[in-house]
Amino acid sequence: MTKTGWMTCTGVALIVLFSSCGYLFAAAGEEIYQVEPGFKLVPAIIMVTLLCVYIGVGILSRVTETSGYWVAGRGIGKFGNGAAIASDWMSAASFMGVAGLLYLKGWFGLGYIIGWTGGYVLLLCLIATQIRRFGKYTIPEFLGDRYDCHTVRLIAAAVTVIISITYSTAQFKGIGLICGWIFGMNYNASVFFAAGVVCAYMLISGMAGVTRNQQIQYVVLISAFIIPLWILIKKAGGAGILPQLEYGALLSDLLEGKVASGTLGAAEIEKVRQIYLPWGAGSFYQFVALVFTLMVGTAGLPHIMIRFYTVKSEEVARKSVLWGLFFIGLLYWSSPVYAVLGKFWNPLGGQQVADVIILSAPERAGMGIAYIGYLAAGAMAAGLSTVAGLLIAGASAIAHDWYATVFNPAATDRQQLFVGRIFTAALCAVVVVTALNPPALIAQIVAMAFSIAGNTIFPVVVLGIWYSGSNKYGALAGMIWGLGMTLIAMAGWIAGIPAFGANGLLPATSSALLVCPMAFVLNILVSNLMADRISEESADRSDNILRKLHNLPGQVDEAPSGEKLPGTHMSEGFKP
Amino acid sequence: MKAEARIASSVLIFWCLLSFGIPLLIFLAGLSDPSGLGASFITRARFLGFPLHYWLIAQGCTIGYILLCKLYCLLWDRRVIPARRTRP
Repeated sequence: MTKTGWMTCTGVALIVLFSSCGYLFAAAGEEIYQVEPGFKLVPAIIMVTLLCVYIGVGILSRVTETSGYWVAGRGIGKFGNGAAIASDWMSAASFMGVAGLLYLKGWFGLGYIIGWTGGYVLLLCLIATQIRRFGKYTIPEFLGDRYDCHTVRLIAAAVTVIISITYSTAQFKGIGLICGWIFGMNYNASVFFAAGVVCAYMLISGMAGVTRNQQIQYVVLISAFIIPLWILIKKAGGAGILPQLEYGALLSDLLEGKVASGTLGAAEIEKVRQIYLPWGAGSFYQFVALVFTLMVGTAGLPHIMIRFYTVKSEEVARKSVLWGLFFIGLLYWSSPVYAVLGKFWNPLGGQQVADVIILSAPERAGMGIAYIGYLAAGAMAAGLSTVAGLLIAGASAIAHDWYATVFNPAATDRQQLFVGRIFTAALCAVVVVTALNPPALIAQIVAMAFSIAGNTIFPVVVLGIWYSGSNKYGALAGMIWGLGMTLIAMAGWIAGIPAFGANGLLPATSSALLVCPMAFVLNILVSNLMADRISEESADRSDNILRKLHNLPGQVDEAPSGEKLPGTHMSEGFKP
Repeated sequence: MKAEARIASSVLIFWCLLSFGIPLLIFLAGLSDPSGLGASFITRARFLGFPLHYWLIAQGCTIGYILLCKLYCLLWDRRVIPARRTRP
């Protein structure tokens, strides 16, 4: 199907959906909305329509080649990839959890916002262009080739799978909440239902369908998230023009005790001031540790990095980061509005208020049952798009990096595609089993995934690109240190050891401030100590990869599928 | 490659200032607050209606990151691509 055909189909589907929303909204009236779990016809119709669109897009994007399955045939543009990055990124936790977190933690919670956005600058400056120039399928493949070492490849593949499973598991709490709310399903049924939908389009279309669906899902989730704000801010006394700026005055009033119900007493004002002053909910060290961990974790997440393989050229890779960050920014500029409005109406609410701060917004705005359905569909889209991106990254790590590279390098394209589908389904099954017994809270599980990525993947990828002296021994030392320390911190946190708790020196969810720089140092030290153990052939292969990554003259590899300009401006050697 | 590294390091210096310099400034300014909550002239100042310390982190940093990404792309187009074209 042509690009125009795609856009037409998607556009028609969305127009039909929005039209039905408008009609149903008018017909539903205000008295019907409710937030209790149970089957709700109108929201269920909206949700099912969107799920059918996703599956339809999957069927129309079906692929018959491995490059289509893993990297969408490298045909994605900057806006498309930007939307897919944003959609991949914005999980159920971002959609529903961040506003609640900001409601409870106030200023300190903003650390999540700068951590999750600042990581994209690292990604752009240090990784995106070079990964696109490498131009293959997966991050473990890049590491395995660059360090010329199957052990590095397999550790990276294992970490990718661990991140895929933990991060996907975290999505199902939100997805379960939505399915219970709209269809009246229990949590276990919701997990099977959502996993079934994701599998349906992922197995048929691979990355091609996942990417197209992520673009649609971005439109659904961001519109569902932002639209209620205009009505809510007007109800709170704002002009209703730009809620993302208007809530500042509400916040300033809040600090003086002015809320919807009148003026707070002195003790209550002090409680509100405490969470909105910088160090009321955490120390400076905790803030910096959290921000740093989320940044390097963001830049080290394999499912975000592989998005750069899917684009047409390295220029598109760079510009898609810019657009992706802007699309993500739209959500993160809006989340604090919900949190402050929540405080305005309910200044001393606890976890229960925070949990439903987004889902109860249409009810408070008086937007009717149809919009509740659309908002739920937005939250579902956020969860599904992230799960799909993660499962593709995880499955590619097993099917491509283990099966097609290590176990059976002679596999034909057809065999690789078949095995890719088998492992995608298998990984989905593992995620379902894990999600049925989730280990902890959404934000904490996701934050642990960031620690793993930031301590294990980020240092080895950055040094692999920018430090020619880094070799497989250094890479292994750095990765084992990063992964080991993250797991120790996690175990300590679960065991209740104070040093690994939120107030400890090495908080499990913010461990990268200490562990990640050490992983860099270890990699460099061990690489230099073991440099004479690297064979000349291995050094030549690594050198060749580095020439490819930096467009240096003298590379003798196959032609990269991305932008490649013959160059002769570097005269110095680039041997590890 | 040198041009690429120079652009990346320049942008990363600004990234570091935004990400850690602003929280450090807020921390240093708030050291005189006996309650330990970090109240200072930054938390008392207002910008676009917001308490300044809140706006700087909630919007200032993220807007700054987007501008840094734009700057990186612009610098790349102006310095790296012309340098490649002029290669012998």
